[in-house]
This record gives sequence, C-alpha cells and structure tokens, in this order.
Amino acid sequence: MNSREKLLRNLSSTQFALWELHLYLNTHPGDLTALGMHEKYALKFRQLKEEYEENYGPLTARSGEGIEWLKNPWPWDVGGCDG
Amino acid sequence: MWTYEKKLQYPVKITRTNPKLAQLIISQYGGPDGELGASLRYLSQRYSMPYPELKGLLTDIATEELAHFEMIGAIVYQLTRNLSRQEIEASGFDKYFVDHTAGIYPVAASGAPFTAAYVQSKGDVLTDLHEDLAADAATAKEQPPFRKARKPLI
Repeated sequence: MNSREKLLRNLSSTQFALWELHLYLNTHPGDLTALGMHEKYALKFRQLKEEYEENYGPLTARSGEGIEWLKNPWPWDVGGCDG
Repeated sequence: MWTYEKKLQYPVKITRTNPKLAQLIISQYGGPDGELGASLRYLSQRYSMPYPELKGLLTDIATEELAHFEMIGAIVYQLTRNLSRQEIEASGFDKYFVDHTAGIYPVAASGAPFTAAYVQSKGDVLTDLHEDLAADAATAKEQPPFRKARKPLI
C-alpha cells in the first residue's frame, strides 16, 4: 500500500464512522453521546480530507480546478490488473 | 442535489482478473436485489414519507446505495480487465461480451437487464417499509451463498 492509499484508507474509515453516526442521529437526534462522537470524527475527517487534497488533488469538483479534477487515477482505475 | 467524491467508499484493488466471478457479482450492480434498485427504491419512496427522521434516513441510505453501486461497478470492471479471447470463452463471459464487450452494464447474473419492476413505491408508509424490509432480507439472503461460492470460483 503506497502513501496515497494509506491516507485514503484512513480518510475513508474515518468517513465511515462519521457516516454511521450521522445515520444513527437521523433517528436519535437528541443523543448527546453520539453528537459528541460525530463532532470528533467530523473534525478528524476535515483534517484528513484537507491533507489528502493538498497532496493528491480535489475530492470534489469545485470551480477553477479544471485539470487537477480530471487527473488520473479515477476511483475505479487503481486495480492491479492494468497491463 | 448531490455532490460527488472522487473516491470509493471502500477501496477496490483486484490483482487477478476473474470473468467468471464478475458474471455473478454483476447481479449486485443491476440485478433484482442490486444496489441500483435499492437506491431508486429509497429515492422514490421518500416523497411520500411523512416523518422527517425517515425522509432523512431514506435520502441518506439511497445516497449510500449509490456509493455501493460504484464499488460494485469498480469490482466488475477490474475483474474483467485485459482479458484474452481464450479467457472470455472459457469463463462463459462470452455471452455478456457479445452484448457489451467489457463495458459495465446494469444486468442480473441471469442476463435480465435492470428494470424498475424490481422496486415498489406505493405512497404508503407501511407498504413501503414492508417492501424495504423484504428487500433488505433478500440482500442478506444473497450474501451467504456468495461467500460459499467464493472458494471454488477463484
């Protein structure tokens, strides 16, 4: 696993926890423990996303990033079978 | 309105092609209990959902199903990269290949193309939630035979 993949995995696992908490909060919006955990993971996710985007380009399409947004690899491109 | 993130929900990195396995996994892409059907089911049902908690939940789960749809697409794509003519013929992938080459097409393992007939949206909370429970049970049912099937196929 290269450093990009490592950072992406860390980012994605943080995002997974954040998302699961978000789904839970849909039906338990007043759960303070879950809200606190959500805040913690949201901060960690923002930091990792910033680090990833600084090093490897944008994760979401924003205006004025043209060529950076289009750069390979795209998410499905990174398999080991590309001969 | 949606925003796309240029990443998979979970990384897919397949090191050995396997067109035989791809033909089974594609059912999770465009089959009767696949991710596309799941996403459209929840996206369509949410309009008549009276409770805000469930409007939120249906919207979010439908969105996540699209992320699953993308992962399955990536799996099938990587399993069918750079195949030789012999590999295509020997694996039985030729029947798919003649229609789509190695393009990713929403279809069931049995060959039936994706159809909205796989989902229901009835405008009634209880009817729709029962449909969702049945759909969830069907997906859960699909996974154990997959796990069992994995060894001899790879």
